[in-house]
Amino acid sequence: MNSNSSQQCTGFDSPWGLSRRSLLNRFGMGLGSIALSQMESSRMLHAREGVLKEVHHTPKAKRVIYLFQSGGPSQLDLFDYRPELEKVHGQQLPDDIRKGQRLTAMSGNQASLPMVKSPFKYKQHGDSGQWISEVLPNIAGIADDICIVRSMYTEAINHGPAVTHMQTGSQFPGRPSMGAWLDYGLGTENDNLPAFVVLVTKNKGGQPLLTRLWGSGFLPSRYQGTRFRSGQDPVLYLSNPQGLNADARRQMLDGLKELHQLKLEQQSSPDLESRIAQYELAFRMQQSIPEVTNTADEPEHTFKLYGEAAKNPGSYAANCLLARRLAERGVRFIQLYHPGWDQHGGLVGGLRNQAKETDQASAALVTDLKQRGLLDDTLIIWGGEFGRTNYCQGKLNGDNFGRDHHPRSFSLWMAGGGVQGGVTHGETDPLGYNIAENGVHVHDFHATILHLLGIDHERLTYKYQGRRFRLTDVHGEVVRNILT
Amino acid sequence: MRFVYSLLFVLTLTSISSGAKKQPIDFVRDIKPILSDRCFNCHGPDAKTRQADLRLDLKEEAFAALAFEGNRVIHPGRSGKSELIQRIQSEDPDLKMPPTESKLELTHEEIDLLTRWVDQGASWDNHWSFEAPVRPSLPKTKDKSWSTNEIDHFILKRLEQAGLSPADQATPTTLIRRLAFDLTGLPPSLEQVKQFTVNPSSQTYASLVDELLENKHYGERMAATWLDVARYSDTFGYQVDRDRYVWPYRDWVINAFNQNLPYDQFVIEQLAGDLLESATDSQRIATTFNRLHSQKVEGGSVPEEFRTEYVADRTHTFGTAFLGITLECCRCHDHKYDPFTQKEYYQLFAYFNNIDEAGLYSYFTTSTPTPTLRIFNEDQKKAIADVEQTIIREVAKLNELATAKNKGFNDWLTNRKVTKEIIGLEQELTFEDGNTGANKSVEGRIGKAVELTGDDAIGLSVGNYSRNTPFTVSLWLNTPEIKERAVVFHRSRAWTDSASRGYQMLIEDGRISVSLIHFWPGNAIRVRTKDILPPGQGHHLSMVYDGSSQANGLKIYLNGKPANIEVVRDNLYKNITGSGGDNIAIGQRFRDKGFKQGMVDEFKVFNRQLSDLELKHLFDTKTLQTTLGTVTAELNAEQKQHLKQYYLYLFDEAYRQQMAVVKSARDQRSKLIDGAQEIMVMEEMAKRRTTYLLNRGAYDQPDEAVVAATPAIFGDSEKQGDRLTLARWVTSPQNPLTARVYVNRIWQMMFGKGLVRTPEDFGSQGAIPTHPALLDWLSLKFIESGWDTKALIKQIAVSSTYRQSSHASEIQLATDPENDLLSHANRFQLPAEMLRDNALLTSGLLVDKQGGPSVRPYEVAESFKPVARGSGEQLYRRSLYTYWRRTAPAPVMMTLDAAKREVCSVARERTSNPLHAIVLLNDPQYVEAARKMGENLIKEFGDNHQAAVAKAFQLLTSRPVSKAELAVISNSFQEQLAYFRDRPDETNKFLATGDAPRDMNLAAEQVAAMAMVINLLLNYDECVVRQ
Repeated sequence: MNSNSSQQCTGFDSPWGLSRRSLLNRFGMGLGSIALSQMESSRMLHAREGVLKEVHHTPKAKRVIYLFQSGGPSQLDLFDYRPELEKVHGQQLPDDIRKGQRLTAMSGNQASLPMVKSPFKYKQHGDSGQWISEVLPNIAGIADDICIVRSMYTEAINHGPAVTHMQTGSQFPGRPSMGAWLDYGLGTENDNLPAFVVLVTKNKGGQPLLTRLWGSGFLPSRYQGTRFRSGQDPVLYLSNPQGLNADARRQMLDGLKELHQLKLEQQSSPDLESRIAQYELAFRMQQSIPEVTNTADEPEHTFKLYGEAAKNPGSYAANCLLARRLAERGVRFIQLYHPGWDQHGGLVGGLRNQAKETDQASAALVTDLKQRGLLDDTLIIWGGEFGRTNYCQGKLNGDNFGRDHHPRSFSLWMAGGGVQGGVTHGETDPLGYNIAENGVHVHDFHATILHLLGIDHERLTYKYQGRRFRLTDVHGEVVRNILT
Repeated sequence: MRFVYSLLFVLTLTSISSGAKKQPIDFVRDIKPILSDRCFNCHGPDAKTRQADLRLDLKEEAFAALAFEGNRVIHPGRSGKSELIQRIQSEDPDLKMPPTESKLELTHEEIDLLTRWVDQGASWDNHWSFEAPVRPSLPKTKDKSWSTNEIDHFILKRLEQAGLSPADQATPTTLIRRLAFDLTGLPPSLEQVKQFTVNPSSQTYASLVDELLENKHYGERMAATWLDVARYSDTFGYQVDRDRYVWPYRDWVINAFNQNLPYDQFVIEQLAGDLLESATDSQRIATTFNRLHSQKVEGGSVPEEFRTEYVADRTHTFGTAFLGITLECCRCHDHKYDPFTQKEYYQLFAYFNNIDEAGLYSYFTTSTPTPTLRIFNEDQKKAIADVEQTIIREVAKLNELATAKNKGFNDWLTNRKVTKEIIGLEQELTFEDGNTGANKSVEGRIGKAVELTGDDAIGLSVGNYSRNTPFTVSLWLNTPEIKERAVVFHRSRAWTDSASRGYQMLIEDGRISVSLIHFWPGNAIRVRTKDILPPGQGHHLSMVYDGSSQANGLKIYLNGKPANIEVVRDNLYKNITGSGGDNIAIGQRFRDKGFKQGMVDEFKVFNRQLSDLELKHLFDTKTLQTTLGTVTAELNAEQKQHLKQYYLYLFDEAYRQQMAVVKSARDQRSKLIDGAQEIMVMEEMAKRRTTYLLNRGAYDQPDEAVVAATPAIFGDSEKQGDRLTLARWVTSPQNPLTARVYVNRIWQMMFGKGLVRTPEDFGSQGAIPTHPALLDWLSLKFIESGWDTKALIKQIAVSSTYRQSSHASEIQLATDPENDLLSHANRFQLPAEMLRDNALLTSGLLVDKQGGPSVRPYEVAESFKPVARGSGEQLYRRSLYTYWRRTAPAPVMMTLDAAKREVCSVARERTSNPLHAIVLLNDPQYVEAARKMGENLIKEFGDNHQAAVAKAFQLLTSRPVSKAELAVISNSFQEQLAYFRDRPDETNKFLATGDAPRDMNLAAEQVAAMAMVINLLLNYDECVVRQ
């Protein structure tokens, strides 16, 4: 039961990790007098601790940036080079490959399932010689920094369950998301910013994303991700009402504080003290969030690195840049979503377009963090919820074909944070349908991420409805081969 | 983590009650939670994962003798002879329990506790909540004056034992404010406050309780909480998350509470209102409760997978809402902690598994997923009954005409002309030109035929018939094998993506089926041949329909004769048109299985029901000539009969006119019905669906078949019944859980926390009650009262316990920091709805209308999936009516800790969060309310700002302002006034927030400054905290 959890604010410890006395010392004197620049230094408050008083082993990564490519990027056309498909192009998918596995009801009833080669050229890149498709030239440029996992698999065959699986460890709604688990387990390093921030590329169609993907499930709601909006207010109603400036708001808050203190003088009340602190924090967030989201202070070479699109708030490139700024300020889990990878048809143009929107900025983020010395303790993940079929969905008409959802194998890459660069892990069969070796299940993937953050995935648990839940349910093996 | 808490809790209670270490240990309170949490995982109810064949949840097994060294697992009085104690004390990794790999540990204190328990004799009780409550005697307290009613005896006794005194009674203003919010979700009016403060006697207070319970806002307040339990949502959920029409259920809940429907009846109607004798529409709408789970439409999903989820959700909701048990675990395996087997789970599941529903709702249409109730007013009901009577009468007339002596027939027989033409042909495809597109042209029965790829439909340009129009479709068909499923032809937009709306001929398990469908399966007719169609040879098939919307009016003709068919569904009550896919298509359908390598020829569509004579002719191409050409004297009986029917259908004016009359009456019925709003309800299928135990809970892994039954732990289990049986079982006074679970939630509503702190789990892993005897006393009293919710609330509200001040003394805080003993009232922030409703009411903006569709205030435009906000009244209704989108709920409500409502939820969490402050400061709803209240006060008090500010304070806290407070607020007003006075443009911008028109007669800077002061007060502790 949430309200009984010892992490829950009981009214007797401040949820922000301050003792009653220090709260009064800090805020009782009036925070209005503290200069703004000091607030921006952002470490005024002690970090809020997580439930794990200490991690289980020395962590390699302190934070995660997850570049979620929503819709199911076609691994056969990006990372999983299967030249054999060129030979069997147009032929029916052999039954002994399919093995009677369930297909989606979209192509499952198709009378004909012709296999289709990748329309894109592959080359080996970097000293490591990783195979990467021509549509991702910039990611190819960081081949030696990334670990490509070609052997991911899941059970889910549709977007909703599959994305939910990747983000929460369960296909069905109701479980906490990975970021919520980490906030719960590790706490935050910067109390003026949420520990778990979500950035969604604006104006993209594709499969809808749901708030529960960054929800807290049965964990207390303060662990849920905070989605930064791309518009005026990065956080819901962050701005003062029109016509009211920060000074007037400060004056009003000073009045509110005085009124609260009058009450406090009459009867001591820990939760009232906590309320006073809340309003001061709220005021500081009104400064600190716009400070991080406003990228006007970035030099021109930043935009060269990430691309001109980074100047357009809400674009994938701008979100990648923002992710770096959040990482610099100690945000624990930064979750990006870029929808549109669902190429059921028109794959050639569709995939090129998706790649164009994401390739440069994804690579730029790795490079930028590396230059700043942040890549070593920041784990970057690039990937979607499942792969796509080696056969064509609908009719195979020249280049205008599509691929259906494919849970049996898909690719993603990781960089930094204790993962080896320049490594390809896992292998699919020559036709790119089933996994041939070193399969990595979603639960294994989660176990590995937690491991990199210093957490034994079996020991970060939360009791709900009488049972101890964890991100990896009752599964998960750390993929040790890819660790530094 | 919780176990840490539990231990603290145990120790705290232990220290409170005695302070001495050696006092007897209570099994239920002290020991069972440890065994459950640390041991049951491997030594509990789940047979599959049980280790060493040892159960520690059953006394007999736990106390069983072991074979060696005279040890027992638990040897009462002798920890040294108890294997359990030796194991938990062991340092040897091979012996130590719990084993290291379990990652579970016992603390030293817990080991000590278990050891002492064994040494003290290892007393053992069954789990408290599964035993029927026994009426406790009223505890005798030292203080005889404090208690108002029985509740207080229980509370005071414990306080006295702990050496604590109860707090003083809350001030009248605090008390009336607390009571008004708790009972109606709204603040008391200034008039109510005045009346009560003038005479705050117990009698005045009691009548105030009555008055508030009779207030119509009571039902809304109770409904807001119940909607969390019911996982109410205005949309379907999952990815696509379309709107659905379910608000009449919300109205039902409000009315049920306002009418004080006894709780047992309240439960029965929601679980099984449809099964009550002569169930009313209202009782049927109550069953919408069971349909409020998420529903799926996403393309490519497997329908049975999601239908299984729906039934599971109903089952889990039943467990959590009414019994406070967690059934989720035993979907995949026996429960790890509580005595429920996986089989018992599916036996409960079976009660909810018997409605004619689809796993997916319709993407291309707005059809309501079946089963449904159509909502009509009394006039409409009468009009429909009338037209039904008309149809019966006119159909009877038609049948009379068919059997009556008919002179015209004899005349026609004499003068008939021979013809082979069949009237009413709208389109035919003979495939002779070989132009078949992607499909293959092959040799057919007559000339060329088409062999289908299964992926390429052949489209026609006709076929958009209503369900009142008779029609016939005929063809030659040859299937290469016995197909599990294949679409022969259809007139529809899609399969599951439009719930098959339209009509169709399929091969299903080798048999031919034809259907007319509004929403498959619950609103459709379907008939199917009993015999498998032999593959590899040509068959002539006709689908013949008479326009009756009944299965007996839908026929399959095989090779010219009526086929031997069975009825699969016979419940079509709405239109089959209007979904797109308006014309017939052959051999393929969107996301369905096409007729791969099937051959089709001579495809013909007729806009009338053909006669037997014509249908035979379509098969043999000669019956018309031969029969029409036979002289009357030589006609056999069958031929005569065929000719009579042929004559009636085509030449008998009276009969043909009557057919038109019948059709027009049916069209009239459609007009009355097709536009009707439908709501999802429960309705049993005539033939019970078999329920299987599903291995690992997976829809596609059925194991043994099970029958509906209640869990064995509760004694006499009910078997074979339906949902009504289940509803009666759960509301039986003998059920040990139902009353306790509900009483606990009412307690939670009145005190902020339940007597059981885990309202969702009364099982082994749940918390034990802080006051077990009180919970039992209240539960038994509640049942005796006839499950009277208002009486229960009144009993609590008038108690001295409830009326205490929330001010805690140092000693109270130190002795009992969680206030488990209720030495004072609890303070907590008002729920999301109340915060907003308070602002709306006090500013005069609240539109006090009850019931009706959901509304869209400002915040829905800011949600993750923004929807256009409403205007006018929609902005100012009580928050309970706010449009609830399951995957992107109202964002301010969510920020303020409203339940997510993805699944049944019986308690809201309370967080302390700066985002609360941000929305309360800046949300336009609150800024606008502050502005309107500012206008009202400036209008009322003019330049007397002190008086205006004082009134604002009283409106928002229910108490008069103190001198010191007035000084602070007035100062703030002056500061804001100075700010706005210098900035007319900013002032105008500030006053433009919200749709409510500005009063231009008032001084702008004064209104703005006053609004800011009210904005301040709307964030003030005493305004937002229930204390």
